[in-house]
Amino acid sequence: MTQPHLVNMQGVSKSFGGIHAVKGIDLTLDAGEVVAVLGHNGAGKSTLMKMLAGAYQRDLGDIQVHGQSVALSSPAEAHDLGIETIYQTLALADNLDASANLFLGREIAWRFGPFRVMDQARMRDQTAQVIARLNPHFDALDVPCRSLSGGQRQTIAIARALQFDARILIMDEPTAALGPHETAMVADLTRRLKSQGLGIFLISHDVHDVFDLADRFIVMKGGQEVGSGRISEVTKDEVLGMVIMGRCPAQIRPGPGASMLDEHGAQT
Amino acid sequence: MKLGTEGARILSLLALLAVIAVGFHIASGGLFLTPRNIYNLVVQTSVVAIMATGMTFVIVTRNIDLSVGSSLGLIGMVIALVQIKWLPGDAAWNWPLSILAGLACGALIGAWNGLWVAYARVPSFVVTLGGLLIFRGMAFETAQGRTLAPFQDGYLVFGGGIQGAIGESASWMVGLVGVALYAVTQVVAHLRAARMSRNEPVRRRVLKVLAVLLVMGAFVWIMNAYNLPRSDIGRGIPVPALVLIAIVLMMEWIGRATTFGRHSYAIGGGMEASRLVGINTRKTVFFVYVLMGVLAAVAAVIATARLNAGTSSTGELLELSVIAAAVIGGVSLSGGRGSVAAAVIGALVIQSLDSGMVLVGASSSMRMIAIGLILTIAVFADNQFAREAKE
Amino acid sequence: MKRRTLMGAVASIAMLGALPVAAQDGLTVAMSWANYQEERWKIDESGLREALDEMGATLVTADAQSSNSQQAADIEGLIARGVDVLAIVAWDSEAILPSVQKALAEGIPVIAYERQIEHPDVFYVAFNPIEVGRIQARGLVEVQPEGKYVLIKGSPTDQYAHYVLTGQKEIIDPLVAEGKIEIVGEQWTEGWVPDVARKNMENILTAVSDDVDAVLASNDGTAGGVVAALASVGLEGIPVSGQDGDIAALNRIARGSQTVTAWKDARDLGRLAARVAAELADGTAPAEVTDRVLWDQGPKGEAQNAVVLAPVAITRDNLQVVVDAGWISREDLCAGVTEDAPDACK
Repeated sequence: MTQPHLVNMQGVSKSFGGIHAVKGIDLTLDAGEVVAVLGHNGAGKSTLMKMLAGAYQRDLGDIQVHGQSVALSSPAEAHDLGIETIYQTLALADNLDASANLFLGREIAWRFGPFRVMDQARMRDQTAQVIARLNPHFDALDVPCRSLSGGQRQTIAIARALQFDARILIMDEPTAALGPHETAMVADLTRRLKSQGLGIFLISHDVHDVFDLADRFIVMKGGQEVGSGRISEVTKDEVLGMVIMGRCPAQIRPGPGASMLDEHGAQT
Repeated sequence: MKLGTEGARILSLLALLAVIAVGFHIASGGLFLTPRNIYNLVVQTSVVAIMATGMTFVIVTRNIDLSVGSSLGLIGMVIALVQIKWLPGDAAWNWPLSILAGLACGALIGAWNGLWVAYARVPSFVVTLGGLLIFRGMAFETAQGRTLAPFQDGYLVFGGGIQGAIGESASWMVGLVGVALYAVTQVVAHLRAARMSRNEPVRRRVLKVLAVLLVMGAFVWIMNAYNLPRSDIGRGIPVPALVLIAIVLMMEWIGRATTFGRHSYAIGGGMEASRLVGINTRKTVFFVYVLMGVLAAVAAVIATARLNAGTSSTGELLELSVIAAAVIGGVSLSGGRGSVAAAVIGALVIQSLDSGMVLVGASSSMRMIAIGLILTIAVFADNQFAREAKE
Repeated sequence: MKRRTLMGAVASIAMLGALPVAAQDGLTVAMSWANYQEERWKIDESGLREALDEMGATLVTADAQSSNSQQAADIEGLIARGVDVLAIVAWDSEAILPSVQKALAEGIPVIAYERQIEHPDVFYVAFNPIEVGRIQARGLVEVQPEGKYVLIKGSPTDQYAHYVLTGQKEIIDPLVAEGKIEIVGEQWTEGWVPDVARKNMENILTAVSDDVDAVLASNDGTAGGVVAALASVGLEGIPVSGQDGDIAALNRIARGSQTVTAWKDARDLGRLAARVAAELADGTAPAEVTDRVLWDQGPKGEAQNAVVLAPVAITRDNLQVVVDAGWISREDLCAGVTEDAPDACK
């Protein structure tokens, strides 16, 4: 391949106080591709993605973005590389309004002595525009986020990821708090962004949510890879078996986290 | 005309202040709402109010600073030492230099607290409780407990005493320039916002300017109505009040218009979220403490100039008044909520109670009871208010 | 600069005192400080040590550093070491009693130094705090025998402030009864904080429309606040009292904005304690000690043997006393004095 991967992770590991949350994961992502990161709660998917987002620092391994090795020592550095994240917790400051949250940490501002003075009128204006594209009925722009509904809060979190020309988008359980109608909206959005050439990591513990959206997948268990491949090679049931039992089907190359099968088909 | 929750809170605080003022005015036989008492109130409030503006930021980031009273004591001693003992002779630049030394000392004290809280992750309650002891001890050590006096005449201007007001015509000038500047900012904001999708109605902006004109006019008129002793010459705006007004405007601006202010509020509303979106939370908290230290230095200048002496006990127990002022002003101890202006009104409420009780001849124990009750009731009312606003 | 070297010398003497001193043939006096960090005890010690040195006696000291239990341990250690007389500046005058009883049971005379320990067998040596109040009131009455008085009292939680008030009232009350003096305002000052005193004074001035003739302030710190408040309404110069002989206050007296301060030369008290210790060690009965009085002004009202020292009233006329005593330099005393200088500044 002449073109380098958009993201190329090699042997990425992270432990918290002696517990291996993520152990030796290899994973790539290309432009215009959706990769599902699957596994139970606690399988290490969110930790892996937070390392890419700069929120955690990896202990071992290498991450390349556009073929360049990167440190990813802070969320700001990830932002500069075009990596945006929609966190499962949404990462909103509940006491601030939509516009403040949308631009939080990346305010439109000019320097004035030791301070940076915000251009609030422009930020409000842009917020209104980007939110109107996502959800035309959203008009509560001036109230603190704590008084908004789950869907409205999600809208702000998504709008934030879109506002800054992301090249790589991480969506951590983006539909967990949403109703069916809003879930469909997020699915539409995901397809649209993919067609615009973004690379997307879609994190989920629910196989059904992502099966139709993703091109490739990786299943994690206990911080290790169970297996990875193209969605077209597997059935939902086989992926479910990987998530729940760690059992890797024959057509998929097993990772170090896969359970070994003996010749009678029983798990060891 | 729509009012934000913060606006409603300030209005209810002003209503409380009005009730207290009218109550004491009647109880004291017409002494409270006199130019003289209002002048005194403003000057007496300034030290606590200046520090309350910084405390607002500290509490908004979900921290506390128990060391402000001791910091003020230590900075006051440093200023006195530099001005009276270290700098030779009676040169005109001695007192400005000593103020610079005080501000630097305040920033250092703030940096000390900030380092431990933000970078060493020691709870702020513990760090600043330690600071309360350390700085008070150092205040004693600077001059072995001696009182240092007197200051230079130029310095005493900051005390708001007989030479500490700017006079009648200068006061009108300050008032006029202030209103004019406010009107200009409103016009500029309007023109800028006119190009965007959302703007405030013109009528509302005009009303705001008129309100500022009215308040400013009344303030200057009252300050000018308090005469110098045995004369018909009005005193005008006291210098400590000018300093306070400048600090309030600056702190409100920092809170509303700068990224530093916004990040402070974001940290209080969601520490983890702030970290995830890439805010340098440690640096922000660190500088909140540095700012607090510098404001303690400004307050120390006024406090020592008022007494014309540096004593190691200056500012004892002041941290309690400062925190109480912020809390009465609706600054939430759980972080993320509160405004500088409201904290200053909180300080005015406390000082009004304190002064009013002396005017009616009540004892200091009665004053403590009254302020304690108001503190509790204010926070209770504020919680009810916040709950209703949410529903 | 001169002061700093003096302080350094005193501090190094103090350090020597902390070192274990081999028991000599002569008299050994022990001193248990409550909190040696406070500035004045260094001055007390210099007087005490000087007087004991002259007698050829030895001084051993311990510092309890503001702790009850540390002071109890200190006293036990001093008893075990074998001393002839034990002097104590009690950190807590109640909690110290068991330790005091232990010493008395060993036959060691106990001197309560400056802070009263209410026990009939303890000998009390102190500046008379009630006399402080009397000196303040007398100082004002002398120059302002009638008129409107304001009382700026000390910290309401400090027993000492109540003693001072008792003394003030002794002088003032008869004049109030005669109708010569009217008290138009009075306030306590939490923690003796000068700024609190200033605010209270400002508000009282508002309440009485500046119609005040004299202010009884209980110490020099609060007097500083009072004078600042008076200055801002043009009343600087009316009679104001104080105590301690603060440098700032003595300067105010020289400049005419304060009338009197009750000055306690701590070295005198140290010398007195040395004398009492020597007499007690010689076997003099406590009731026979020179200048002994019966003191029963404590909270419990129990009588005990005591020698009390009168503070000195310092006014414009005798400022030379503090200069001669080396308490203050003429330069500090007379800073900013221009016209109408007192004798000490001429």
